[in-house]
Amino acid sequence: MNEYPSRAKTRKYFLAAVLLFVLQLILGIFLSIEFMFRGEYLFSIPFDIYKSLHLNVMVLWLLLGFIGGLYYLLPPEVGRDIKYPRLIDFQFWFLMIAGIGIIISELFFTGRNWWLVEGREYLEAGRAWDILLTLGLLTVVFNVGMTIRERKKEMSSPILVLAMGAVGSILMYVPGEIWFNSLVAAEYFRWWVVHYWVEATFELIAAGAIALILLSITDVRREIIEKYLAIEVALILLTGIIGQGHHYYWIGTPQFWLFLGGLFSALEPVPLFLMVWSAYKDLKENSKPIPNNIALYMIIAASLGNLFGAGVWGFIHTLPQINFFTHGTQITASHAHFATPGTYLFLVLGMAYIAVPELSGMMNFHQFRAKTGLWLLVIGFLNMITALVIAGVVQVYLQRLQGVSFMEVQNILLPFYGWRTIAGLITLAGALLITYDFIILYHKRKLEE
Amino acid sequence: MNNTRLVLIGLLIPAILMIPYSIFSFYTDFANKNPDPALVTVDFNGITFNAIEGKKTFEQYQCMGCHTIVGNGAYFGPDLTNAYERAGKSDAALSGLMLVGLPSKGMPPMKDRGMDPEDAARTAAFLKYANMLDTNGWPNSGSWERNGSIDGIQEKRLYPSEIWQVILGIIFFNVIIFGVILAYERRKQEGRL
Repeated sequence: MNEYPSRAKTRKYFLAAVLLFVLQLILGIFLSIEFMFRGEYLFSIPFDIYKSLHLNVMVLWLLLGFIGGLYYLLPPEVGRDIKYPRLIDFQFWFLMIAGIGIIISELFFTGRNWWLVEGREYLEAGRAWDILLTLGLLTVVFNVGMTIRERKKEMSSPILVLAMGAVGSILMYVPGEIWFNSLVAAEYFRWWVVHYWVEATFELIAAGAIALILLSITDVRREIIEKYLAIEVALILLTGIIGQGHHYYWIGTPQFWLFLGGLFSALEPVPLFLMVWSAYKDLKENSKPIPNNIALYMIIAASLGNLFGAGVWGFIHTLPQINFFTHGTQITASHAHFATPGTYLFLVLGMAYIAVPELSGMMNFHQFRAKTGLWLLVIGFLNMITALVIAGVVQVYLQRLQGVSFMEVQNILLPFYGWRTIAGLITLAGALLITYDFIILYHKRKLEE
Repeated sequence: MNNTRLVLIGLLIPAILMIPYSIFSFYTDFANKNPDPALVTVDFNGITFNAIEGKKTFEQYQCMGCHTIVGNGAYFGPDLTNAYERAGKSDAALSGLMLVGLPSKGMPPMKDRGMDPEDAARTAAFLKYANMLDTNGWPNSGSWERNGSIDGIQEKRLYPSEIWQVILGIIFFNVIIFGVILAYERRKQEGRL
């Protein structure tokens, strides 16, 4: 481990990511409470500010987790340390300061200044923060690029896929920052950010990281994992890039997107299924004992969450005939609350559970807490998803098919929102347990030093 | 096949196809007949505001934090795509509603958030523009009549051009079934079940 001293710097990325996830959960619980008590503002902050923070905090901890994971996994694969180790610290504090800046802007400047709060879903952070974040994140691209350029050994394909995904996510932030007069064009390119993140570059990160972690904890032959990875990545890109069309059904773009989006996004579950299938095969072939069981649990959770959350839950409302009725209802919310945590939360946690114990020098840590936390998270999210999907079906039936008014339907949905709040509390309990575990793992090293 | 070549094919074919699709979406006869936001205007106290200014105020006051526009946004408030029509095509009524809000239903008075009547008029111009967008028929007004009677639309047939969805559904479903069976059989062969 002493071979690559810069790896120790990535520990704080994971801890910050987990803490921000807890913050996101608390914001989510506030949101669900405001859904039930309309007109009451918790701490006199209205819904939209909690909602935008809920999304922006998520983007922030995803970026932290992925950048931390990339910096952690990169050195052994290129056979050298990160080229500019001090940039790792700088980027961490930069992201933290930008995050605090975004939170303060949201709380105090919403509606006051367009440069500080832009208010477009997922890109609520104002134009000033967008530009600053992009410039800061481009230094990550630079650092990773320079490290790869001066590599000491041949790159393996999983790390290349992971780096491609991380660099691609940062570059894909740019199209969302172009100003368009037309709402159609603005929405068209806003989806380049959001869709190409979750359905292309983040998927690449997921595929690459799962392959790398499987390589490091099992003794399956490299060629098998790499072959599967290549097919997965080719299929993710082939379906995901034009699968973008499922966001272009009703935003004022031509009808040919109905065909293209339907066709390609219907195929999107295939690489996700392949991911689960290949992990299953690899683990079956493996004969090496796996001491870090919890990381394996997280990776399995991530690939199953990806298949069911992104794949199946996406497929049920991706065809235009269905999406015509489900677009903009709680069905979408259910899909988002399954796919995002199901895949990326467990992926970040998996990387964290590989990195933090190793960096703290405690490979034989007690895993009971983490496993309980994982199951609480799973139970909490499954409750949340079920509540939302039932709410979504009721909403589609009443509002879209029967033409019942919006407010009347929201009143009928209240029990499901209550269920969702309880699910959020279960999830929070799991997240707090895992955070406590991480703080202990993080702290042990400090005592030794 | 070489792994790198496989990935490159997966990346390049759709990426290259995205260019003409994007161009067709905006600059050809394929493009929907959407209005020019610069020409959609609202008059307020003798000043004319257009939908471009309105788009900026719409973003600034974070309308998408509670509402959806063309179905994208948050699901706390109703969709705003046809808000102009629902407000009786009156921009005065719409901007008045924005400023006072509906506090009991969860909508804060936007004048408390710094919105002045000019900004409200700008946002109304944007919503007027959004109402004119050609969104391929979305949102529907309900495919059945409100009183439950059958509506006047004639039945149609399954067109050959729509059969791809049937085929895809069958392939998708059966690939999963096949995978499960294959996994089961292989486990059984190895005596692990």
